[in-house]
This record gives sequence, structure tokens and C-alpha cells, in this order.
Amino acid sequence: MFDFWRRRKSASVAKDRLSIAIMSDRGVKDIYPFMDNLKKEIVEVVRKYVGVRGIEIKKEIDGNFEAISIDVFLEKNR
Amino acid sequence: MGIVIAVISGKGGVGKTTAVANLGLGVAMNGKRCAVVDFDIGQRNLDMILGLENRVVYDIVQVMDGEASLKQALIKSKVNDNLRFLAASQSKDKRVLNSKKVQKLIKELKENFDYVILDSPAGIESGFEHTIEFADAAIIVVNPEVSSIRDADRAIGILDSKSQKVKDGGEVAKYLIINRIVPDMVQSGEMLKSDDILDILNIKLVGKVPEDNGVIDASNQGKPVILDKHSIAGQAYKRISARLCGKKIDMKDVEVTDTSILKKLVGIFR
Repeated sequence: MFDFWRRRKSASVAKDRLSIAIMSDRGVKDIYPFMDNLKKEIVEVVRKYVGVRGIEIKKEIDGNFEAISIDVFLEKNR
Repeated sequence: MGIVIAVISGKGGVGKTTAVANLGLGVAMNGKRCAVVDFDIGQRNLDMILGLENRVVYDIVQVMDGEASLKQALIKSKVNDNLRFLAASQSKDKRVLNSKKVQKLIKELKENFDYVILDSPAGIESGFEHTIEFADAAIIVVNPEVSSIRDADRAIGILDSKSQKVKDGGEVAKYLIINRIVPDMVQSGEMLKSDDILDILNIKLVGKVPEDNGVIDASNQGKPVILDKHSIAGQAYKRISARLCGKKIDMKDVEVTDTSILKKLVGIFR
């Protein structure tokens, strides 16, 4: 009987693995609908102080932790 | 004006062509004029499943290039007068397709049929993109298995960005068929449940098709399994076809077999 609890059923392993794989396949744009606006607003704010060349937002998943990392690329010599 | 449905999967070998043949015939059995079109240029297969391989004279590329008229190229089904079939080219390469030609062909098909069902090539390359480009709806076929579901999600992503309907500000209707379900494995937790697959892909379900040896037997003979009254897959395709024709048919839970209920009962008294 304890055998049943010891081994996790493979379908639930499949579900977890798939959810993570698909989330990273899709990219942030599809995960957060507000992403385009967020990008635009960040660019506006930073532009008040320095020139902005571009912005990149990535979602990172590592085990149980999730994060979005935001890279703002500045123009040179400013 | 008819409705154009692209049948897609991402991964190959999940039962796309079988689905197209059976849904086409099923829709025709519901009294609708239906055309099934093989878009898998270079790998013609739908003709075999329909048992029409000996009747192919002109193919889709010849129609698009104006070497034959659509009327000349459409092949009438042996079993149902409402069903017509347009074959893929076997000799040519899928690079011969272009949006303009595809659009013209789809328009002509729409004018002549209630339902136009397109069999997409596997993968997410240009052949796939041309299949979904002018479709009003898509049916995504998956198996309850990780690689099929992941590839399907990629295909759905491309559908959502490349379809003309989406570019025009509209939306393509998307429906899922889960094919080759093994009820015993779902019951014992060794196969993904339909609900889990729907959660992950986040689209509407149009039907579940259980694993059935009759499907191979049917393709051996070139008689779609929907014609076999005793086949459980055939019955599933009948239900899906009726749903496509707007009939309200309850979703049958093919994942629960009579034997598995029995086993549970036996388990209680053990």
C-alpha cells in the first residue's frame, strides 16, 4: 500500500514539466498582457534622465522561484 | 460562404490526417457539403486514408497554377456524395505555395462548400503557415503526451500571430481534439488527463478520441473508421462531427471505462 505513495504518478510529473517548458517557450509577452505598456512606460521614465536604445524583459524560472529581469540598453556617451 | 477549418498539430504522427478524413466524412454525413484538402505538399497521405489514391488526376498545385480547374481536380468520395477531396502534389516541394495562390484557392472552395477542412503538414514551417493563413478556425490534434502538447502550443502561438483573421483584428476559433487516449493509463495516473491538457493549452475541447486498433485496420482498407459502427474512435469522430455542425452533443468521458469503475468497486471490497 505504501508503494502507492512512494512513487509519484508519471502523469503529474508530465504536467509539471510541461507547464514549465511551455511557459518558457511562450516568453513573457504572452504571459503578461501588460508587457507592452510596461516596456513603454519604463522607457519613458528612463528617457527623462538618459538616452535609451532599447529594452528587454525576460522571465526566468528556476525551480520554485520566478523573476522578471529588465535590461535597459542606454545610448553611448551620455 | 463556407467555413474554413485548418487541422494542425505541430508534431507529426498524432493522427491529423485520420482526423481530417473522419471529420470530413462525418460532416458530410450530417448533410453538409464538405471539401477536404491535403496541404501536405510532397507527402500526400489523405488520399490513402480516404481510399481515393487511384482516382487522383490533378492536384492542388496544378489548380493553383491554373493547369486544372478546381472542378476537374476535386475527387468525389466513394461513400458520400457530399464529400469532395483535393489531393496534395506528390512530386513538388512545399516552397511552390504562396499566399496569393492559397488565398485564391481558399476563396473558391469557400464559395462552393459549407465546410472546407485543410490537412496541415506537421511542423511549423511555411507549409503550415500557408494552411492556417486564411482559416476561420483551427482544430488542434494532440496526443496525451509531453512532446505532442508542447509542439501543439508552439503551433497555436504561430496561429495566433500569422493568421490573416488575427492580423485583421479578429480571432481564429481554436478547438482541441485529444487523440489516442488510453483510459486505463489515465485511470492509473500514467497518462495526462484531458483536464490537465486543457489547463496547459488553455483552449476549448471539441472531442476526445480513445485509442482504437480499428484506426489502423480502417487505414489499411482506405475506409475511414467513422464508417465502422463498432469502433470507439469512429463513434468519437461521429460526435465531434456533429458538434462541428452545431449540434449539442454531451462530452463523453472516454477516460472512464466501465471496467475501471468496476475495478474501483472491487477495490473497495478488497
